[in-house]
Amino acid sequence: MRKRFLYIVLICLAGLTSCKKWMDLKPQDGIVKDEFWNTKEQVDAAVIGVYTSLQANTELYFLWGEARTDMVAPGFRAIQDEMDMVNLNMLANNRYVNWRTFYQTINFCNNIIQLAPDVLQKDNTFTQQHLDRAIGEALTLRALTYFYLVRSFGEVPLKLDATISDQDIVNIPKSSTQVILDQILSDLKKAEPSLPVSYGSNDLDKGRVTRFGLNAILADVYLWMDKYAEATAECDKIINSGRFSLVNGREFFNTIFLTGNSAESIFELQFDVQRLNPFYTMHTPANKRWGAAPHLADNVYGIDLVNPVPLVDVRGDRAAFRSTDFTIWKYVGAEDNGSTFRAPDQSFAHWIFYRYADILLLKAESINEQNKPLEASRIVKEIRNRASAIELKPMDSTNKASMSLYILEERQRELAFEGKRWYDVLRNAKRNNYAQRQLLLSMASISLPADRRQAAFTKLQDNNSHYFPIFFYELQTNKLLEQNPFYK
Amino acid sequence: MKHIFPSCRFLLVMAIVVAFYSNCKKSDIKMTTTNDVNIASYIAQRPDSFSLWKEILDRTETSSFLDAYGSYTVFAPTNTGVKSWLTANNVASVAAADLNVLKEIVKFHILEDTITTPAFTDGKLPVPTMHGQFLITGALNQGSVTSFTVNRQALILQSNIRTGNGFIHVIDNVLQPAKLTIAKALEGDANYSIFVQAMKETGHFNLLNTVDPDPNKRWKTVLAESNQALADSGITSYAALKTKYSKTGNPANPLDSLYIYVAYHIVNEIQFLGDIITSPSHLTLQPNEVISTQLINNEVMVNEDEFNGIVEPGVLLVRNKSDNAATNGVWHHSNAHFIAKFRYPTAVFWDLATFPEIMKQPAYYRKALFTFNKNSLTDRPIADIDWHFNGENYLRYEWGNSPTATLYNFACYNDILTIPLGAPSNNNRATWVEFTTPPIIKGRYKVWICYRNRNAVTINVRVNGELMQRPVNLGQGYPGGSDAELESLGWKKYTTGGSFAGRLAGVVDIPTTQRHKLRFEAISGTNRDLHFDMVHFIPVDQPQYLPRFAPDGTKVWQ
Repeated sequence: MRKRFLYIVLICLAGLTSCKKWMDLKPQDGIVKDEFWNTKEQVDAAVIGVYTSLQANTELYFLWGEARTDMVAPGFRAIQDEMDMVNLNMLANNRYVNWRTFYQTINFCNNIIQLAPDVLQKDNTFTQQHLDRAIGEALTLRALTYFYLVRSFGEVPLKLDATISDQDIVNIPKSSTQVILDQILSDLKKAEPSLPVSYGSNDLDKGRVTRFGLNAILADVYLWMDKYAEATAECDKIINSGRFSLVNGREFFNTIFLTGNSAESIFELQFDVQRLNPFYTMHTPANKRWGAAPHLADNVYGIDLVNPVPLVDVRGDRAAFRSTDFTIWKYVGAEDNGSTFRAPDQSFAHWIFYRYADILLLKAESINEQNKPLEASRIVKEIRNRASAIELKPMDSTNKASMSLYILEERQRELAFEGKRWYDVLRNAKRNNYAQRQLLLSMASISLPADRRQAAFTKLQDNNSHYFPIFFYELQTNKLLEQNPFYK
Repeated sequence: MKHIFPSCRFLLVMAIVVAFYSNCKKSDIKMTTTNDVNIASYIAQRPDSFSLWKEILDRTETSSFLDAYGSYTVFAPTNTGVKSWLTANNVASVAAADLNVLKEIVKFHILEDTITTPAFTDGKLPVPTMHGQFLITGALNQGSVTSFTVNRQALILQSNIRTGNGFIHVIDNVLQPAKLTIAKALEGDANYSIFVQAMKETGHFNLLNTVDPDPNKRWKTVLAESNQALADSGITSYAALKTKYSKTGNPANPLDSLYIYVAYHIVNEIQFLGDIITSPSHLTLQPNEVISTQLINNEVMVNEDEFNGIVEPGVLLVRNKSDNAATNGVWHHSNAHFIAKFRYPTAVFWDLATFPEIMKQPAYYRKALFTFNKNSLTDRPIADIDWHFNGENYLRYEWGNSPTATLYNFACYNDILTIPLGAPSNNNRATWVEFTTPPIIKGRYKVWICYRNRNAVTINVRVNGELMQRPVNLGQGYPGGSDAELESLGWKKYTTGGSFAGRLAGVVDIPTTQRHKLRFEAISGTNRDLHFDMVHFIPVDQPQYLPRFAPDGTKVWQ
C-alpha cells in the first residue's frame, strides 16, 4: 500500500514539473505581442517594416498605372493575364488584381497606429513627438495605399483597425469611393503636423515620408477629387519650401534614375543591392514582358529631322526608352547612351512615387482648371525648357481646354513609365461627369490591337470598366464583397 | 491478484467487443474525383433559368453528348429568351416546334472548342458553330451597363461558367442562324439592284447562291456597292454599268471587264470587319488581283494605297451597314465604287538600307554606323527584315561619305547594310536573311542584286521561296567590257564608280501587286563583312543597266 502511494506521488511530481514546458504555447521562432511594443526602437523598426512592405507592391504600381495605357506594348514574354489587361478584357482570376500585398501594408500601418501609443508608458525615453511622427508615417503610408486602391478598384473595404489575433479577422463589405477618399484626407491632415521636414540625411529624406512627401500625396488626392484650390495650396507648400529643384537636363537620366534620391525627388521607394527591384525580368530584351509602345518616338517625344545636330528630348530616347528596340530604359539602363544594361544583381533603381516635376505639373493642372491657363503655360514651359523638348504642336495658353490637353500630354512625356499615365488620363476623363471620355477612347485606339478596338470603345462607355475586378479568392473568402458590376 | 483476473478478463473481452462494434461503421469512400458537373447537368440543375432550354436539348437528343467528356462552349438562352423566340415564331411550346428547326437552332449554339470571353474580338469567333455558320461578338452599352453581344442578337448575361466539359455563357435571346445566301440577301434589298443584276449576268449570282457542302469551299465575302455608290461615280443604271465595262459584250466571259468587276468584289473566305483588317491584303476571286485593307482612324478602308509617291484614296466599308451574315458568308457595304486597276509593271529600285527603324534615328541615319541585334529567336528589331538567330546575330547599317571610304563612297545614299552570313556548315553565323520588299506590281521582272564586292561568300536568292537561276558570289566584281557586253554576262555597273557591282540573279514572275519576300541564303563561304546596297526589280522589257545611281541617290541616265 505504501509503495503504491509512493509510486503515485512520484508520478504526480514528475508530471507537475514537466507540465509547464509541454503546456507552453509561445512560438519557438517569433516574438509575441507582449514582448514587442516595449521600446521606441521597436516602434521605429515597425515603421521601417511598413516601407519594406511597399517593395512587394512595386510590380503592381507599374502595371496598374501603365499596362492599360498607350505607353507600353506587351513583349514576347507577357502572359495571358497581362494581355487581358491590355485588351481591357480582364477576368476575376487575373493574378494582377490581387490586392493582398496592399492590405498587408495597411495592416502593418494599423498595427502601429493601434499599438504604438502603449509604448509611451513602457519606455521613458519615448517622447510624444517621436510617437506622433511614427503614427504620422503610418497614417500617411496607409493613406497612400488606400489612394492606389481607390483609384484602381473604385470601392474597396475600409479597414482601419489592426488585425492582431484570429478574432480580428472579420468580413467587411466595400465602402464607397467618397468614404474612402474622405478617410484618406482626414488621415493625411491629421498626420501633417507630426511629420518632420527632414530626417537628417538625404537618403532618409527621400526614402521616408517627410512633410513634403505628405503634401505631394495630398495634392494628388485633392486633384483626384477635383478640389483645385486645395491642390494648388499643397503644391505651393512644396514649391515654396525651396528644398526641391529641377535637375539639369543633361543629367536627367543619370541623376534621377541611375543614382536616385536626387534633388528633384520627393518620395522614392528605395531599393539596393540587398533588395532588388522586379524590373530586370520585366524590361530587359531577353525577358521582355513589357516594352515601350512604338509610337512614342515620333508622336509623343518627336524626332527632329530639320536641324543638322538634331534636338533630342532628354526625357525620351535613351532615358525613358530605347528607340532602337523599344525597351523601357528607365529602370534597367546603366547609362544614358542606350548601350549598357544594368547587371541582374545591380537592378536596384528606385521606384519614384513623387518628384518635383510631377508636383509642378499637378500645380499647372490645378491652376488651369481655375481658369488661369497662362500661368499654367509658364510652368509647362519651365518643364519643357529643362527637357529641351521638341515642339510637336504649338501651346495655346489662352484656352483652358487646349491647355488641359497639353498638360496631360506633357505629363505623358515627363513621367513616362512611372505608374502615372492611367491615373492621369482617368482623372482628366472623369472630370465633370466624364465630359472628356474621349481621352480614354483615344488612348484605347492606340493601345489596343486592331481587331479588339470596337468592343473596347463600347466597354469604355461603362464607367465600371475603368476599374479592376475584385480577385476571385477575395470574393470566395469574404461573402460580403460584391464584384464590380462590369465583371459579373 | 488471482481473484481480480477473471473480472479483468471479462472486462477486457467486453471492451474489445464494444470497440469492435463501434469501429465497424461502413465508411463512405468518395468515388468521384470532383463535384463538377458537365454542361447538360449544370443546365438541368437550374430549372428556373433553363427549363425550356433543357427541354429543347432533350428533344433534339443533344443532352447526352453535352454530358459526356469533351470541350464545348454552349450559349444557353434563359427561359425568357426561349419564350420570346416561341412567340415570335408562333409556336405554342417546345414540344410543338418543328424538330428540324430545333436541331438547327441547337447546333447554332454549340461550339466544339472552349472559348472564353478574353478570346472575343470584334470579328468572328475562331471556330464555327456545330451548325457550320460563324458567330460574331461585340460589346453593347445600354444605360451605362456594358455587356458582350453575340451575333448582334443576344446579350451575354453571365459569362465563362466553367463546367466539367467546357464553358457556358448565358444569353438572353435565342440566336438565329442566317437563312438566306449572300445572293438572296442582296437580291432582297432594292438598294443593290444594279450590283445584283451585274452578279446575275456575269454568273456570280449562282455561285453566291449555293451553300457548298464542303466547308473549305463554302465561305465568301462580298463587298457590295449600293446604287448610291454607283450613282456617285456617274453610273445610274445597269445599262450604264454594262456599257462602261463590258467590252466584249458578253458579261459571262471571264475576260470581260464586267465579269472582272464583279469578281474583284468577292473574297474567297469569310471575313467580318473585325477580321478583314488583320491582314493587309486579300486575294479576290479575280485571279491574282488583291484588295488592300487597313484601319485608318478606326474605319476600314479598302485599296488606300501609295504607288510611286502618289496616294490613291480608298473606299470605306460602312460599319453599321456591314457584317451581314449569310448562310454562305458575309457581305459588307462599300460607300464608293471601285474596280481592279490595271497597273503597268514599273521598275523598283530598292535601297536596302532604307527602312523605318533606322530612318527614325536621326543621330545615325545617314550620319553614322548602327548595329541591330537580335536577342532571341522571336526578337524582331526590324519589322521587315529577319535573319537566322545563330551566333553573330546582328545586322549593321553603315554610312560614310569620305571619298577614301571605299566601302561607301559610291553606294546609293552612301549607305550599305552589312550582314554576316555563313554556309550551314559554319554554325556561328546566320545562314539566311529575309527582307520584305516594297510593293511590286505584278509582272515579269529581272532581279539584280547590287552589292559592294569584297568577300567571297556565295548566296542563293529566293523571291517568295522561288529559287533564282543564278547564285551570287559577293566577292566577284564586274569584268571589263561595255555595258551591253556586261549585261549579256549578267553584270551591270549600277553606280557611278567604285567597287560596286550589280549581278543578275534571275527572272521572276511576280504574281500579285503587293509586298513580297526576298531571301538570301549563304551556300558556301562565311564572312561577317558582306555589304548589300540595293536590289533592282526591272521589268524584262525595259532597259536594264540604266539608270545608274549617284551617291546622293539621283538617277543618272548615261
